[in-house]
Amino acid sequence: MEQYAIQMKGITKTFGSVVANSNINLTLKQGEILALLGENGSGKTTLMNMLSGIYKPDSGSISIFGKEVSINSPEDSKKLGIGMVHQHFKLVDVFSAADNIWMGKEKPGLVLKKSRYARIREIASKFGFDLDPEKKVYNMAVSEKQTLEIIKVLYYGAKIIILDEPTAVLTVQEIKKLFDVLRKMKQEGHSIIIITHKLNEVMEISDRVAILRKGEYITTVETSKTNENALTEQMVGRKVDLNIDRPTVDKTSPLLEVRDLSILNDEGSVAIDKVNFYIRGGEILGVAGIAGCGQKELCEAIAGLRPIQSGQMIHKGDNIVGLSPKAITEKGISMSFIPEDRLGMGLAPSMSITDNMLLKNYRDAKGPFIDRKRGRAEAEQVIKSLEVVTPSTETPVRRLSGGNVQKVLPGREIKSGPNVIITAYPVRGLDINSSYTIYDILNKQKLNGVGILFVGEDLDVMLSLCDKIMVLCHGKLMGVVHAHKATKEMLGLMMTGSLDLTKEKSHGIAKDTLFKDVLVSADAPETAAQAEEEISNSGDKEE
Amino acid sequence: MGFHIVKRDICPLWKRCCFYLAAIVAALFIGALVLLAIGVDPLEYYYQMFTMGMVGNRIAYKTVMNYLRDFVPLALTSVALSLAFKMRFWNIGGEGQFIIGSITASAVAFLLGPSLPMWLTVILMCIFAMLAAGLYGLIAGFLKIRFGTNETLMTLMLNYVALYILYFIGETKESWNFFLQEGSLRPVFESFASLGSFPSIPIGDKFQLNICVILTLLIGVGIYVYLKYSKQGYEISVVGDSMGTAHYAGMKVKRIILRTVFLSAALIGLAAAFKVGTVGVLSTSITNDVGWTGIIVAWLAQLSTPMIFVVAALICVLQTGSITAAATFSKVDSSFANMLQGAILFLILAAEFLVRFKIVRVKKGEKTNE
Repeated sequence: MEQYAIQMKGITKTFGSVVANSNINLTLKQGEILALLGENGSGKTTLMNMLSGIYKPDSGSISIFGKEVSINSPEDSKKLGIGMVHQHFKLVDVFSAADNIWMGKEKPGLVLKKSRYARIREIASKFGFDLDPEKKVYNMAVSEKQTLEIIKVLYYGAKIIILDEPTAVLTVQEIKKLFDVLRKMKQEGHSIIIITHKLNEVMEISDRVAILRKGEYITTVETSKTNENALTEQMVGRKVDLNIDRPTVDKTSPLLEVRDLSILNDEGSVAIDKVNFYIRGGEILGVAGIAGCGQKELCEAIAGLRPIQSGQMIHKGDNIVGLSPKAITEKGISMSFIPEDRLGMGLAPSMSITDNMLLKNYRDAKGPFIDRKRGRAEAEQVIKSLEVVTPSTETPVRRLSGGNVQKVLPGREIKSGPNVIITAYPVRGLDINSSYTIYDILNKQKLNGVGILFVGEDLDVMLSLCDKIMVLCHGKLMGVVHAHKATKEMLGLMMTGSLDLTKEKSHGIAKDTLFKDVLVSADAPETAAQAEEEISNSGDKEE
Repeated sequence: MGFHIVKRDICPLWKRCCFYLAAIVAALFIGALVLLAIGVDPLEYYYQMFTMGMVGNRIAYKTVMNYLRDFVPLALTSVALSLAFKMRFWNIGGEGQFIIGSITASAVAFLLGPSLPMWLTVILMCIFAMLAAGLYGLIAGFLKIRFGTNETLMTLMLNYVALYILYFIGETKESWNFFLQEGSLRPVFESFASLGSFPSIPIGDKFQLNICVILTLLIGVGIYVYLKYSKQGYEISVVGDSMGTAHYAGMKVKRIILRTVFLSAALIGLAAAFKVGTVGVLSTSITNDVGWTGIIVAWLAQLSTPMIFVVAALICVLQTGSITAAATFSKVDSSFANMLQGAILFLILAAEFLVRFKIVRVKKGEKTNE
């Protein structure tokens, strides 16, 4: 009989009346990469947390390398050789990389020795990592932090490594690098469990795939003997069309035009640097960029939540710079931004769905009182049309599961009938099924002639959903490309600043601009107009 | 073999009440142990305390009037604090705002009382006390929105500023100081009961129901409606829940913060006016610690306005009762109420854990990883 690195038998875990895991069997062979697949709330993270000692199963047994064990704490888990890289990094910002690793040492002694850097450098190079052990965490990019987390678990001699959605925050190039490292670790005899929502990654990296659905174990299949459609069907429980539609709509004149926009971030440094773009009605303009390269500031500026440094924004020919958020909402511009914690902006988590519906229109009610009846009707409508799973309209939003929370937000935004929708990370952390619901919502709006700015993370999705994609790198516009002509690699290069299309010609200025006085300097108008012509011409040919 | 802590979905109301009752009983039990150690019969003591010595007492109506005199400022202050707390503005400055309110109300009584009719004096006392206390509260609110200072520290420190102003007034025998008795050699606060006192409604032949009690109940209803149904109340909830969301919804967050802090502090000022307008004299212990106790009341009631009135009523029974009982049992100081109050708060918080979680025993025989 083959010895498994991990064998979980009949694992059940409940939280109150919610069954997170029910009678789950999972095996991980030595030296393999197992992908754990499942929708939101299917119990993946709960299951993994039982391996890392955060939760204890209600019943069932866990064997590590053939020996039945009881994991009572993260400390136990570490001793058993299990290392988990969490979705949200657990690092001390002001410490160096090496000190973050040393922190968990059992007998660190009183003196910090210089040799700790050498030790860690050694491990890093062994697995082909590129990490400076003396660098402070607050100076690190997201990918570096992740590398550090992985080195941390390797340092403590983990033989089994669990990665919870490691690719969610990485660029294409970084994902490639991570996968190289994972393959190397596999060769060294490590066993790896990787949680991800992205099927193409599952197909690329894993040896086997274990599938969970609604807390139940469905099956484990060999990756080489399956395909994306079959996996989705097993995960969702029914056939799902994996193609994202990109309906073509007659485009209108530009609804929102942005010219030479510069915005500062909270720290006072430049977040958006002289960016031009425009959105027509009936089109989805994607915004691609590495996390934190000005997307948030851009969204906030358009919504009137953040003052701009210079530049112009016009909506249907009217200037919107300096207007209050309320006035901008009234013009029909809706902004929704899903931050990392999914609740920070746009929803009041402890308040009911009804109350959240009222957020932007509570002032409309006559007199000093709010109109809850209206809110309740709207809540019922959103729950019905978007299939939000909730006990009632009076349930606090916080109590809903991630996917349902994220339906409430676009539900509210759309019912107000906007003509421009700014949406950032609307499917952040959502499973395939819910994501497709959101894409459908956006496409329906597009068909109605709404202009949509879609700030996204997943390049595959953006390439198939958006009409055009603008790429930002450190707040600078790297170019606007037609989605059906662009490739992932090209976007990746633009996101990292290696490819700058704006050097050849201006991007993001509409031919039929509604700017009455073209403010571009003497030589620019021609080139700008030319550029637009070229873009639209080449686009037309393809269409 | 072992125990698991498991999260509850919902805790039915009756069960919750049981937990809270059990917490109070447990606190009384702890108190009983202390009493036994001192050598006092706990049953007799508690009897005296909870009846507030009214049984068989010919002047029981006086006890009720005294009780209400303590209840009004505590309930109103707690309600006022809950307004700020709902917005997650930690107004710890109830004491200071109360003191400023009472000094202002007394000043109005001394300065305007002699030339104005009593009803007008009383109204002016309320208005000026509210304005002064409200502005005093605004200091911390303004510093917070302008410089991002911590309102907990600011309001806390401002308590001491107010307290020492009161001490200064109470101990400085000078010709300008109209707060003190003129004839007395030692500094003693002058009474203004004849200049500015709230009217009472006689019920029966002896009992007088002070109008402040009715006003406080009305304000309680008003605040309940305000928080639950008004646009401004809605704004307070959103700002308290998520500042980012409030900005996003186009609310003027800074204005909402200032408005709410002012209202919270102004209501505390009103509580102070009620207090001095009932007792008719200033004192250095005029607050009776309502600024502190009010925080406990607001949290025990989980910021629910009706519950604040219930909790405030119970806490007042403890306080008034322990003073009465101290008269019978000379060994037990009236501070015993404070100890009991602390024990109740502590155990209610412990009961809160049981409301949220339950402890289940893992059955034997089942295969687990224990």
